[in-house]
Amino acid sequence: MTESLTTTQKTHHRNLDDAANAVLLLAVFIGIWQLVFMLGIWPKVSLPSPAMVTESFSRIVWNHSLPVSIGVTLARLVGAFAISMALGMLIGLGMIRFKGFGKTLNSFSAGLLSFPSIAWVPFSILLIGFNEFGIMFVVIMSSIFSIMISTYSSIRNIPPLYLDAAKNMGAKGFALFRHVTIPAATPSLIIGLRQAWSFAWHAIIGAEILMSILGLGHILSVGREFLDMSQVIASMITIFAIGLLVDRLILYKVEERVRRKWGLDFHR
Amino acid sequence: MTKLQARNVIKHFDHNGNSVVALNGINLNVEEGDFVCIVGPSGCGKSTFLNIVAGLEKPDSGEILLNGKPISSPGPDRTLVFQEGALFPWLKVIDNVEFGLKMAGIPKNERSEISKRYLDMMQLTKFADSYTYQLSTGMKQRVAIARALAMDPEILLMDEPFAALDSQTRDLLLVELQLIWERTRKTIIFVTHNISESVILGNRVVVFKNRPSKIKKEIVIDYRRPRLAEDENLQKYYHQILDELKSEVIARAKDENQ
Repeated sequence: MTESLTTTQKTHHRNLDDAANAVLLLAVFIGIWQLVFMLGIWPKVSLPSPAMVTESFSRIVWNHSLPVSIGVTLARLVGAFAISMALGMLIGLGMIRFKGFGKTLNSFSAGLLSFPSIAWVPFSILLIGFNEFGIMFVVIMSSIFSIMISTYSSIRNIPPLYLDAAKNMGAKGFALFRHVTIPAATPSLIIGLRQAWSFAWHAIIGAEILMSILGLGHILSVGREFLDMSQVIASMITIFAIGLLVDRLILYKVEERVRRKWGLDFHR
Repeated sequence: MTKLQARNVIKHFDHNGNSVVALNGINLNVEEGDFVCIVGPSGCGKSTFLNIVAGLEKPDSGEILLNGKPISSPGPDRTLVFQEGALFPWLKVIDNVEFGLKMAGIPKNERSEISKRYLDMMQLTKFADSYTYQLSTGMKQRVAIARALAMDPEILLMDEPFAALDSQTRDLLLVELQLIWERTRKTIIFVTHNISESVILGNRVVVFKNRPSKIKKEIVIDYRRPRLAEDENLQKYYHQILDELKSEVIARAKDENQ
């Protein structure tokens, strides 16, 4: 009991330290920014001060363009990512089931994974058009390969020992899949999903800059059209913050939890 | 009654394009309730033989009969304790022990009754809700043995289960395993490269020849139990087996240098 208490306290302390370091880093960053601004190397339109960006930030919050944009972008992203996950895992399982197909597809994986998401935009515009589905198509195409390949490889990399042991105890068919294959593949699959999520995040901002009338990417591109650097920077900070929050509060937490349960953090 | 019968089991392996004979006609009878140890130089195919009995590998020719029926696939009637334990890290100790029972469709309350009994036998009751990374290697192996016994197999197969343990833990488990065998009278086939282990545990010790492997010699060890590692009366058996093995180990080393 006391032992677990001290561990919690330690974790708590570490979290506080981490937070303090992050705040310090931010303060230094803003300080340097302010300093560069005051040196006047660039005109104010090109490089606004932290205060100007804050003002712009509060403007787009109060005229609702930022909250609406965040909502629209996240809705598109979550919808597209869900489709991407469902299809990607299905194809990944198909690659396991049909070995020749899996091997062939896997040999293209390097090309598919490194294919830049923006490069899907012209294709999507011509195929689907300037609409929600066009944007979602770009997001899906940018993340599905990562999901597919990591489903495939995390199942293939399961230590044969686990499967042998399970078969030896009478597991087969769907029970083997559900009780051994899935849990054994989970830690590595989660890493793949985290990567796919970051690909999807890249893709949606890019797609919105080029093809949208709403969303975070859109207010970023509006800022550029009106030569409003403060809005551009405010949007960028928002994009950074959302990316960070989603990863820290959801994806990283899930990964940590799985790693802890699997005992993967105990061999540092 | 003959529990297990191996008839002229032959197995080849593909090694860099060459076919290597791993097992060259193994014939072995194991009686019900017997405790048989198989020793041989590393790479002699003793683990392969055990995998074939477990149904994880298939022989190229020959067959293995369990209660007179040929075996063809893995089955819970022949549970295997692996060298590395092979426990599932995503399950608690108790769920690991219950895994095979769950696969067999045994209801929850019955499962937990059985698993508790074997955890108790292995002195692991306190750790039922731990995850495997929280256990020492010796405890993990005890869980693996409990998991295998919980399935109440026809025959218990053990593939160097103590090889990764420190010597104190091993000595302890060597005694425990004898007590379990006396209590349950399970038929056990125990594979090891460690001669003392085989002498302490086996009613019979089967010595495998180096590749292409065959059974070279069988030595009956008729001595009271529980036998302890430090018992000097076991020395003569030890030396008898060592004499058989020495030439095989030398032959093996020659093979590897070629």
